[in-house]
Amino acid sequence: MSDVDSARADAASASDPAHVAEVVSAPAVPLATGPVAAAAPGARRTRDALHFALRNKKVVGGGIVVLAFLALGMIAPLFYDYGHSEYVGPQSTGPSGEYWFGTTTFGQDVFLQFVHGIRSTFLVGLLGGGLAALIGMTIGFVAGYVGGLVDEALNMLTNIVLVLPALAVLIILHTYIGISSVPSQALFIGIFSWPWVARAVRAQTFSLRTRDFVDLARLSGMGSGAIIRREIAPNMSSYLFMTFILLFGGSVLFAATLDFIGLGPTGVMSLGLMMNNAVHWSALQLGLWWWFLPPGLGITAIVGALYIMNVGLDEVFNPKLREM
Amino acid sequence: MRRYFARKVAIYLLTFFVAVTLNWLIPRFMPGDPVLRMLTRTSVSNPDAIAPMREYYNNVFGLDVPLWRQYLNYWAELLQGNMGISVWLFPAPVTEVILDAVPYTLALLIPSILLSWYAGNKVGALAARRRWLDNTVLPLGYALTATPYMWIAIVLAWSLAIIAGIFPVAGGYSFDLQPSWSLVFFNSLLQHWFLPFLSLFLVAFGGWAIGMRNMIIYELEADYANYLEALGAPRRLIRRYAFRNALLPQLTGLALQLGVLVAGALVTEIVFGYPGLGRLILMAIQNQDFFLLQGAFLFIVIGVLIANFVIDIIYVLVDPRTRTGMTGGAA
Amino acid sequence: MRTRPRYIAALFTAVLLATTACEGGDGGSSGNSSNGGQYPRNETLYTSGSAWGPPTTWNPIVPGYATGTVGLIYEPLFIFNPEKLELEPWLAEKGEWSADNKTYTVTLRDGVKWSDDKPLTADDVKYTVELGKIKAVPYSNLWNWLASVEAPDARTVKFTFSDPRVQEWENWLYENPIVPKHIWESRSEADITTHKNEKPIGSGPYVYQAHAQDRMVWKKKEGWWAEKALSLKVAPTYIVDIVNSSNEVALGLLTSGRLDLSNNFLPGVANLLKGDFKVKTYYAEPPYMLSANTAMLIPNTTKAPMNDVAFRKALAQSIEVKKIVEGVYGNIVKASNPTGLLPVYDQYVDQATVSSSGFTFDTAKAKATLASAGYRDTNGDGKVEDKSGKPISLKLIVPSGWTDWMEAARVIAEGAQAAGLNIVAEFPDAAALDDARTAGKFDLLLNNWTGVSNTPWTYYNYVFQMPVQAQQFSANFSRYQNQAAWELVQKLARTPSDDPAYKTTITELQKIQLAELPAIPLWYNGMWAQYTESTWTNWPSEASGAPKDFPSTWNNMWELGSIKMLTQLKPASSK
Repeated sequence: MSDVDSARADAASASDPAHVAEVVSAPAVPLATGPVAAAAPGARRTRDALHFALRNKKVVGGGIVVLAFLALGMIAPLFYDYGHSEYVGPQSTGPSGEYWFGTTTFGQDVFLQFVHGIRSTFLVGLLGGGLAALIGMTIGFVAGYVGGLVDEALNMLTNIVLVLPALAVLIILHTYIGISSVPSQALFIGIFSWPWVARAVRAQTFSLRTRDFVDLARLSGMGSGAIIRREIAPNMSSYLFMTFILLFGGSVLFAATLDFIGLGPTGVMSLGLMMNNAVHWSALQLGLWWWFLPPGLGITAIVGALYIMNVGLDEVFNPKLREM
Repeated sequence: MRRYFARKVAIYLLTFFVAVTLNWLIPRFMPGDPVLRMLTRTSVSNPDAIAPMREYYNNVFGLDVPLWRQYLNYWAELLQGNMGISVWLFPAPVTEVILDAVPYTLALLIPSILLSWYAGNKVGALAARRRWLDNTVLPLGYALTATPYMWIAIVLAWSLAIIAGIFPVAGGYSFDLQPSWSLVFFNSLLQHWFLPFLSLFLVAFGGWAIGMRNMIIYELEADYANYLEALGAPRRLIRRYAFRNALLPQLTGLALQLGVLVAGALVTEIVFGYPGLGRLILMAIQNQDFFLLQGAFLFIVIGVLIANFVIDIIYVLVDPRTRTGMTGGAA
Repeated sequence: MRTRPRYIAALFTAVLLATTACEGGDGGSSGNSSNGGQYPRNETLYTSGSAWGPPTTWNPIVPGYATGTVGLIYEPLFIFNPEKLELEPWLAEKGEWSADNKTYTVTLRDGVKWSDDKPLTADDVKYTVELGKIKAVPYSNLWNWLASVEAPDARTVKFTFSDPRVQEWENWLYENPIVPKHIWESRSEADITTHKNEKPIGSGPYVYQAHAQDRMVWKKKEGWWAEKALSLKVAPTYIVDIVNSSNEVALGLLTSGRLDLSNNFLPGVANLLKGDFKVKTYYAEPPYMLSANTAMLIPNTTKAPMNDVAFRKALAQSIEVKKIVEGVYGNIVKASNPTGLLPVYDQYVDQATVSSSGFTFDTAKAKATLASAGYRDTNGDGKVEDKSGKPISLKLIVPSGWTDWMEAARVIAEGAQAAGLNIVAEFPDAAALDDARTAGKFDLLLNNWTGVSNTPWTYYNYVFQMPVQAQQFSANFSRYQNQAAWELVQKLARTPSDDPAYKTTITELQKIQLAELPAIPLWYNGMWAQYTESTWTNWPSEASGAPKDFPSTWNNMWELGSIKMLTQLKPASSK
């Protein structure tokens, strides 16, 4: 969402009618932020935000869930002296004290696969989301700040990538290139997930670049890059952070889709691959529910918690919403 | 308005051009030889037959002319609706194979997109004004929208089809039927369609409901809403304005979500063994049939572009500002 | 506006109710026959497991045709009887070699007709064989050793050979179907291999009924020649072959009684057999299935250290096949005999050779073999180095997504590691693997193109075929060169099965195979076949009195005698 204002013909963006109709929403969850609250001194704002964040039930609750999963993924695998694809237990047995989530048809430990899968999930979210954020923001800032022909060209690029169905492109690419590791999967996901960020950041930058403090910086001889880094970006930091959270969630879901259709990295366990394996080895028909329920629940919990955290953060950064 | 559409169409044409070029480019500059693969797959047990067969198939697939010619030929063929011959389902033309599958995919996508968007918006708007509803819709919506499509499909297939046995597990219609205009056949179609549809509907519904709920809350906090309230305008009127305003971003959101929805449909079809494009793509991947894959890719791109265009038209109808030419529209 | 949401909710509930109501309707109607294009359940055989894509071609000349095109529609001159290991006359009444083995004379049955009522004559046979003169026809190499074919009268065809390869010829006889000249002769040379041949006209017991994306439907033909000639009658009126979307879907259909015969690889089926799902297989005990082909570990013998026999031997000794059979497959496959010869060829296995030079799993022995051949761990990393002291690092490749093979490859790599061989399993995509195998750019891979046939010649041809070319498409992926072995293979091709030299040649080949291990046989993949008896009974099984035909709908299997399975089936109600 560039900002909801632009949908209304008022305030900042009204000065730029070309962008009135430009409303962008994130995959899956629209992200709404009010007009960028500019110029509050950085340190105080951070302290304020932290103060309210720690008192916001959504932020705290979502955060706890996410951190709990992260900890589980980081720590749990350390307690096992066997690998996630090794045949360790009896075949096709339900959850028990020894194998918490039961075993696969081969006798692999489902819980161990699950925690390894969580690792991959966080890795792909972090890298994929991070890369998309980086590309999107860079393009958005440059387009919004420089304007003119550069803006036109970048806008065109953004629109093309935006309309291309990413999964279809990735399928084609994957067939020929192959994805062998989580980072390379994240790379592909990142390359195709940035457009809405670019559009949103561009619109925000547009509204910021005419502000007094930016003019001031320009007059003082600051270069464009420096202005974007020191003046514009910090003023959107809360917004950028929330964008990253949404990209993180989007990457996780995207990776799960790819893994599920067998286009995931080889040799690495992921939650999507667990579902793929479970379906492939007839877990549904054989009633091995402990094999396919946890991975989906894990993704839903992580991504859902992130989204809820995001709503909370929105309330934190946007005081108007706090009483809701 | 004309400028708005001209711009849109230009972008769509450019996107199509890029897609086609990518489509042509990728396989030709990647390692591997499709004809060789086909010969390998058919496991010709006859070394003597391989050279002539290869030459012959290179010819059939149009690989035996210079690259630039191949590119032009590709466009020429494409504009005539010819996307080549499937390697996997040789000698069936790709277009024919895909056209057989497309109706199933559309039958899933169109109703689930429209219904989920409609229902999501309504429920989201309701949630924004009823606290109890908000407390249920919000968590549920977030859970749904965070659910991977295939997982909800797996859960539905497992619970409603395999355990409860209420719905069939796989196929487009019952295997004991021949297509006909009979009630039995239609029933069978509907039954096989329902679960895949439901999985798509549920996930998308969650997203729209939350989107609308958040949007309305923003609108109600907006200056114009406060202003109207101060003037003593009825609450209902304000809400109606808010809903109207919130619909526009939701419409844009729909355009942006198309890619994700298509991806969702593809994996859902795979889970339910539904004979649409998704399953075809999976099989094409497994059989290394790049002509078919690329055909499917182009079909999806074209479908998404058309849908985008339709949304643009609706946008103009809904948003008077674009209509009066007050704005050119950015994209 | 306030009332609208309620309206939506109501509408939605209505849709839900309507669909669930339909469910009830369908359940009730499935018993009806002839109801709006519905196939009556008790006359229909539902199969799956052979078609993996929508039926798009019915051309029997090029592979890829719809399930049953060859077998149900087009028929060969002979079919193979796996029980007796010999050919049985099918379209032919008999076939005889001349005394000097230079000519072969086929006499056709009287009264065989195409489904358009035209008679099947010697001209059709001659025409079919001569199609092989077109290079793009897969059997064109037949003409390297066949000199001429003549049709002196309507029922006699005479083949004259420049090089009488008896075994190879018999292989041709049952693998290739006869096509009607009067329909095919109007087609151009290119059309022969690219025509879709919709609504095929054949001589077999079925005719085309319908097809869709996910199914192929055949209907029984009245007056199939074998009804009179052999007193064989196919039981099902309709055969609906379901295109596999995936194996798990087949399992779901099977357990719900909507599928009669599944030729899918169903992991976990051993569990089902124990449960009360009423699923049956050929054997009631492991391995449950008949064996269909041998999975082999292929070392690239053009590369060191795979070019060293001792190394290959140590590798073979390091593999715990039992773990693959039990852990990966849950006992639905069988460990291979060291010779790799399928169980149907048991009578040819030379037990003395096997016990003297066969290999068995023994990590300690593998280590010893390596040590005595000069492979030692010189840098102390726990893995042996090659003879010059350079570390060995090898990759075993298996197509990504072939989950059972991927698991098997892991087991193999694990065993090799335990013996000190640094081998890791890698999973490139199937296409990359095809390229690597064809071009010889690999260290180790798994392959199983060693299907059951009328003669072990096909197996030895697969193992030893020469000359080794830059691209190997279908045989000798090890690129193993042994002129003596290849001459034996060619000799085998020319030796009739009843000649004593037949068995001694096979024994010679076994000796070379075991001494040299150009390819390492691991396990026999099953001829996956799971059936339910709710609609059809009398399925092939080991039980005495039960039919012994191959219970498979896979292409090539009909000619191996599966067609007779259809004539043995009995409706469940008439039991």
